[in-house]
Amino acid sequence: MRRLTQGNEAVFRGAVAAGANYFAGYPISPSTEILNVASSWASEHPEFRFLQAEDEIASANAIIGASLAGAKSFTATSGPGFSLMQEAVGYAQKVGVPCVFVDVQRVGPATGMPTMPGQGDIMQVRYGSTGDYSPIAFYPNGVEEAFRVTIEAFNAAEESLSPVVVLSDTFVAHLNEVVDLDEAAASVKVVPRTLVPLGQHEVGKPRFFAGVLMYEHGPNAGEPATADADEYVRQYYAAKHRHAEVARRYALYEHGWNRDAKVLIICYGIVSRVASPLSADYALFRPIRIHPLLADELHAIADGYEQIVCIEANDGQYADMVELALRREVKRVPLLGGRISLEAVRDGLDRVLGGGPSEPPIPPAPIEPVERSPLGIG
Amino acid sequence: MPELAFAEMGFKERLKVDLFPTIWCPGCGIGTIMIQLAMVLDEMGMNESNTIIVTGIGCTGRMGSYLKHESVYTLHGRTLPVAEAIKQVRPEMHVVVVSGDGDMASIGGNHLIHAIRRNAPLTILCNNNEIYGLTGGQTGPTTPTGTKTLSSPAGNPNTPINLQGLVRSSPHALYAKTTVYHQIHMRNVIREAIEHPGFSFVDITSQCIENNGRRIGFASANDMLTFYRKTYKRAPKDATELARFEIGVLYPDGHATNGTDGAAAAPAAPAEAPVPTKAKPAVDDEEKARRRAESQKRLALMQRLDPEVKLRVAKGELTLADALREAGIDPDEAG
Repeated sequence: MRRLTQGNEAVFRGAVAAGANYFAGYPISPSTEILNVASSWASEHPEFRFLQAEDEIASANAIIGASLAGAKSFTATSGPGFSLMQEAVGYAQKVGVPCVFVDVQRVGPATGMPTMPGQGDIMQVRYGSTGDYSPIAFYPNGVEEAFRVTIEAFNAAEESLSPVVVLSDTFVAHLNEVVDLDEAAASVKVVPRTLVPLGQHEVGKPRFFAGVLMYEHGPNAGEPATADADEYVRQYYAAKHRHAEVARRYALYEHGWNRDAKVLIICYGIVSRVASPLSADYALFRPIRIHPLLADELHAIADGYEQIVCIEANDGQYADMVELALRREVKRVPLLGGRISLEAVRDGLDRVLGGGPSEPPIPPAPIEPVERSPLGIG
Repeated sequence: MPELAFAEMGFKERLKVDLFPTIWCPGCGIGTIMIQLAMVLDEMGMNESNTIIVTGIGCTGRMGSYLKHESVYTLHGRTLPVAEAIKQVRPEMHVVVVSGDGDMASIGGNHLIHAIRRNAPLTILCNNNEIYGLTGGQTGPTTPTGTKTLSSPAGNPNTPINLQGLVRSSPHALYAKTTVYHQIHMRNVIREAIEHPGFSFVDITSQCIENNGRRIGFASANDMLTFYRKTYKRAPKDATELARFEIGVLYPDGHATNGTDGAAAAPAAPAEAPVPTKAKPAVDDEEKARRRAESQKRLALMQRLDPEVKLRVAKGELTLADALREAGIDPDEAG
């Protein structure tokens, strides 16, 4: 049925369509609607469990517990809350817990510009937790895509046995579009539960879920390997390769607009919608699976263009990754402080394509005279 | 009853004996708690299919790896959200949380407050050794005022956290206090806590000789246990609050037991107790008696085997029936 649907609601309905039956969360704008919808859904569907946790740390750990117990679980938060969840993300990566984190970005920190949209968590998703890991993350730019991508995120989580992130932003989250989600659901397959739930293991072989490095095979199977570097390296690469293999199945991106143009614009999320009136003059590359980087696809596509410009609502977080992978200059148009407008995009493009800097010409803040020396002397 | 070797007892089925000796320091109290928990699990028919153990980081957290149960070793302080979610998804399972005082009351303090508020139907065993042991002996949330630790060389200037008050702030929660010296009492209160339908918290005073006891003047773990024996007294049955050195169980309506009456003496939970409840163990008294008889018969038969064969049976390398056949003993014939 075609219906006016909000981005956040589409994420929730996508989760339910993927078989999610556990949500834990803590209210934070602009993700709160997901929590609201989840609580009312839970009140009508007793098989769907809901927890309003005391903080984001609790919600992140609760979805890990729920997933180990057999539920398809997820949480939704914004950048500041996602920072609090990072330890749990790293733990879920190491233990191999399938679950989904939805991060609706705003301009941080928590006290920053809470009502303004941002895309400042691209690197937080990639490197936010301690240690090395290889996260899978998606970033839709519309309501129907948010629905589809959330289903794919749950699928990728089950296949990779890892936490998967769905990125969004204030605008995508609060976008209202007329969509037919039932029809969309029919075209996406759902991967069933992969991890054997707690207590349904082979009797006599209880498992010990720990971030502790343990031997998986051989004579010492089940014993700690906390001082064995070889074992760490083996397990680390096994997980990395598994994630890469799964990610390959979800290599979602859009290569469009005027493909014959000379300049390739890379943007994602709401920025790609805002910049779309420029479609006649530029080519577009829009990553939907934002992590791991779509390096092969970028190599194949970028070769045909004279210049690459990355437009994003952060100071070049994705551009850095692209530049590193392609080993060629990527110009940046950072849309900071929540100013995501066609005008800002046009100004930025004119500036950087004319050889100017990525920083907009903002008059410097007046420097107050210092009365005391910084060391407090004199 | 004859004196039994550890390996012959029924509760060893709940333990991964092949991983022994444990990593804990000699004289540590955690092993005692683990054995008492294993005994209760065995007694109540709780096994790897119906009971999940959740532990937190710290010395106590390693208990999960020695119990023959599916267990989750969570991030530091995060036992309660993980355990609560497991219980939400699988309400038919028992979820037992084993954690230290630092994990529970300091880094996980916020989760403790809110798990109490939500009356999460969990059983919490808190190994309260009044110190951060694994990191060498720093002041913990439960360290008494004046105690010298690595991080308070002039004595802890702060008042320890009031766990009893915290737990008792909920009208639905059970609070029990016991010590590692009072083992039978500990076993009884653990059982009562597991049988309590709502949030239950067992505060177990335990000795950390290596990283606390010796610094504050105890010569050995035995000294600390002797101190517990001499200092801790059972609370009166009608107590509504446990004093500093009193052990006992406080039920939500204020009724205390001294931990010897078992659940039979416990009044039912108040009528307004919220919906989530622990599944009652599927073992009635008859079944318990049958199991006890079976276990005693098994023990009697074990006594008739050679010590070496007995050990092999205990390790599970040989079934008891095979061992008896080899030794030419008829199991039905009286010994």
